[in-house]
Amino acid sequence: MRKGIRAIGVSCLLALTMGNLAVTAMAAPAPAERYLHVKVDDASKGESVNVNVPLAMAQAILPTINKGTLHNGHVTIGDTDFNGVDVRALLDAIRTAPDNEFVTVKEKDQDVRVAKSNGNLIVHVLDKSKDGEKVDVTIPMKVVDALFSTVKDNQLDVAAAIRALSDAGDAVLVTVQDATEHVRIWIDSHSSSE
Amino acid sequence: MVLLGKVALGIAGTALAGIGLICSEGMIEVNVVEKQPEAHHVYVLAPAMLLPITMHFIPSRNLGRAAAEVKPWIPTIRAALEQLRAGEDVTLVEVREPGQHVLVTKTGGSVVVDVTDEDEIVHVSAPIRAIESTVEQVAAASPETQD
Repeated sequence: MRKGIRAIGVSCLLALTMGNLAVTAMAAPAPAERYLHVKVDDASKGESVNVNVPLAMAQAILPTINKGTLHNGHVTIGDTDFNGVDVRALLDAIRTAPDNEFVTVKEKDQDVRVAKSNGNLIVHVLDKSKDGEKVDVTIPMKVVDALFSTVKDNQLDVAAAIRALSDAGDAVLVTVQDATEHVRIWIDSHSSSE
Repeated sequence: MVLLGKVALGIAGTALAGIGLICSEGMIEVNVVEKQPEAHHVYVLAPAMLLPITMHFIPSRNLGRAAAEVKPWIPTIRAALEQLRAGEDVTLVEVREPGQHVLVTKTGGSVVVDVTDEDEIVHVSAPIRAIESTVEQVAAASPETQD
C-alpha cells in the first residue's frame, strides 16, 4: 500500500516537472536569429554579391580577432581620424537633443544632411556630379552609443555595436546608389537576402 | 554450422558497427563535372571521420607552415564554426557574374560550396565537425605547440 502511494507521488512529481518544462518551453520560444545582410549589385557588369552574416556569429568572432587596429572587439583610431573633433561630446549633444536636422549643406555638386529622427542618426549625401551617387545611412542611436561606449577616447567598441544591432529591430542601415552600382546593408531575421 | 553462423554474424555485426561509427560524423562529398567536350567527372563520397584520422598520418613538418599560419586564427575559426553549427541553415555568400555562380551555404550540419562556371560545376560539402577536427589538428602540428 505504502509502495503504491509512493509510486503515485513520484508519478505526480514527474508529471508536474514535465508539465513545467513544457510550459517553460512554450512560454519562452527561442529568439529568432538575426542577420546582417550586404548586397551589392552592379547592373553594368551584371554582377551581384550577397553576404549574410548571423549576428550571433559576428558577436562571437569579433572578440577573438587581434590584428591591426582591431583588438578584443575594439577598433583603435588614431587622433588624426577625428581631426581634433570631440566625437563623444558631439554625440552626447545629439543624443540629448530632440529630433532635428543638425547639418544641412547644399553646394553646387553636393548635398549633405545630418539629422536625428525617431531614435536614429541619419546621414544623407547626394553627389550631383556625373555618377550621381546617393548615400543614405540610418544608424539607431543605441548602436552609435554602443560604438562609443568604451573607456578610451580613441577606441570604438564594435562588439558592443553588434550587440546593440542584434537588439534593434529590422532596419536598412546603409544604401549607396550610383549610376551603375547599388549597395544595401540591412539587418533582419531572414537567413537569405531575398 | 551453428558456430560458423555465429562467427559470421559477429563479423557482420562488427563491420556494420564500424561502418556506422565511421559514417557517424557525416560524409564529405566532392563532385566535379567538366563541361568541355572531353568531359571528366570526379565524384568522391567519403566518411568525414576519415579526414581527421588521415591528418594523423601527415608528417607534422609538412603541415608546419599551414599550421603556423592558421594558429593565430584558431580562436576565430573555432568561434565561427561553433556558431555556424548551432545556427540555422543560411546562405553565407552568393556571387553572381556573367557565366559564374558561387554559393556558400550552411546546410544541416555541413558547409556546402557550389561553383558553376562556363567550364565546370563543382560541389563540395563537408560536415562542420570534421572541419573543426581538421583545423584543430593542423593547429596542433604548429612547431610552437610541439615544443
